[in-house]
Amino acid sequence: MSRVLGRLRGDPLSGRNAVASSAISPLIAISNLDKRFKTRSGEVVTALSNVSLDIQENEFISVVGPSGCGKTTLLRILAGLEQASSGAVHCDGQSISGPRSDVSVVFQQATLLPWDTVMTNVLLPVHLKGDKSAAAVARAERLLAFMGLKDFTQKYPFELSGGMQQRVSICRALMREPRILLMDEPFGALDAMTREAMNVELMRIWAEERKTVIFITHSIPEAVLLGDRVIVMSPRPGRVSEIINVDIDRPRNLQTMSSSRFGELCGHIRTVFGAESSRGPSL
Amino acid sequence: MTASANTPLLNRLQVLLFAALILAVWEGACRGLHISSLILPAPSEIAGKLVSLSLSGVIWPHLWATLIEIFSGFLLGVGAGLVSGAMVSLVPVLERLVYPYLVALQTLPKVAIAPLFIIWFGYGLLSKVVVTALVCFFPILVSVVAGFHATDKDQLDMMKAFGATKWQTLVRLRIPSALVLIFAGLEIAAVLAVIGAIVGEFVGAQVGLGYLIVTLNFNLDVPGVFAVLIYLSVIGLILHGAMRFAARRYIFWIRRNDAAVMV
Repeated sequence: MSRVLGRLRGDPLSGRNAVASSAISPLIAISNLDKRFKTRSGEVVTALSNVSLDIQENEFISVVGPSGCGKTTLLRILAGLEQASSGAVHCDGQSISGPRSDVSVVFQQATLLPWDTVMTNVLLPVHLKGDKSAAAVARAERLLAFMGLKDFTQKYPFELSGGMQQRVSICRALMREPRILLMDEPFGALDAMTREAMNVELMRIWAEERKTVIFITHSIPEAVLLGDRVIVMSPRPGRVSEIINVDIDRPRNLQTMSSSRFGELCGHIRTVFGAESSRGPSL
Repeated sequence: MTASANTPLLNRLQVLLFAALILAVWEGACRGLHISSLILPAPSEIAGKLVSLSLSGVIWPHLWATLIEIFSGFLLGVGAGLVSGAMVSLVPVLERLVYPYLVALQTLPKVAIAPLFIIWFGYGLLSKVVVTALVCFFPILVSVVAGFHATDKDQLDMMKAFGATKWQTLVRLRIPSALVLIFAGLEIAAVLAVIGAIVGEFVGAQVGLGYLIVTLNFNLDVPGVFAVLIYLSVIGLILHGAMRFAARRYIFWIRRNDAAVMV
């Protein structure tokens, strides 16, 4: 399997930060982040309030919270799609001011281009950089095969199921060999069975292509199953209410979900939510 | 609908039978109730006139002239609509300054300006081509502008996150997404092109199917008018069908979601 990993990466430089990013400095450093929006009626809404968080290289971070807790806003700021109102967000020592080439995003919707084939969709990120090499095509083929989409490379998105479309979208995100993978409720639109299968799939990819992953979800079990740490957020205004270390050994699988430790952690997160909602003015 | 979709042959047969039934009732009513052919000619009479108009060769110069007006007007109007629509959509200043006037112009009934065009461009083909082009221009302009505005926000974010330049976003995302509405505009323009050419001819012409209708009507040759109308609807159907065929080919990904419209 490790041979597959090397071939999937295909880039001798991809291991360049393995030594540099020891525990001394985090890969992503968020400090005192605020984000305020102005609504159309001129009212100011605070989406994120005083969020501070350090993320280490190769860590899998789950962010869980009810809708309106600003978790998507947090991800959009990390993706460079939005700017913070105040506070600082640093990635690899640089302030994030726009989309970075070492960060890939998987959105809730697969956002595939319907007029392009699966292969062309997966190649999009490298085409945008002007790379039309055969090596890129070969890498796309390997990624698609790895995701069980070998026979679908020439199909169009509308010929695929929702789960398959999202797998294509993950292949596309991996295509530019990112250090950081941002995932915004990527399985939220899928049915429960497909969702569990995709969780297993994602753990398999993460074992193969070690990345720093920030995974947004509103499912507590999903957050615990996937994450090294779970960031629990509370709404209005969005802030970090607790950070939980998931001390369950890897590799994990769906059986992990019936272990007692798993149940304890999920229960604990629910208690955090419960405390938040009873404290809040109205929910 | 769903049951008959399984047997297309039977389905088609039903349609034909129904058409035959209508024609039979029409024919029977005209003969039985002695309806004057000045008011409503019987189908057999219209068919006879259709054949004689075609075989005598009377129709050909008129058909030819109208077809030229329709096609050149359609191409001119669509071309101008695409170019100005793209300019208005992509240059924000133009959208602010020019688009309101274009929309205001659109509310003007084009038929009302047709007499002016006769004065400006003469009695020949040119004035009809201009009327047709103008009639086709607006639906295309509006559909291009609406098409560019309809780009999916999530997909724009996706392109931005992958570091696409403005030009790359235009070519890979915005133009293809605009095509869906542009083809809807083309379907409308194809039908309007026929109307534009006929209206132009009504106002003043020496040749063309519209001119022929006016002449036949003046001579109280109502079956002849009906025969020309059949020619006109066939032209309209072919144009519309051609646009649908092109849409199925070039925006094939829409078929699934929008089966009722695109079949």
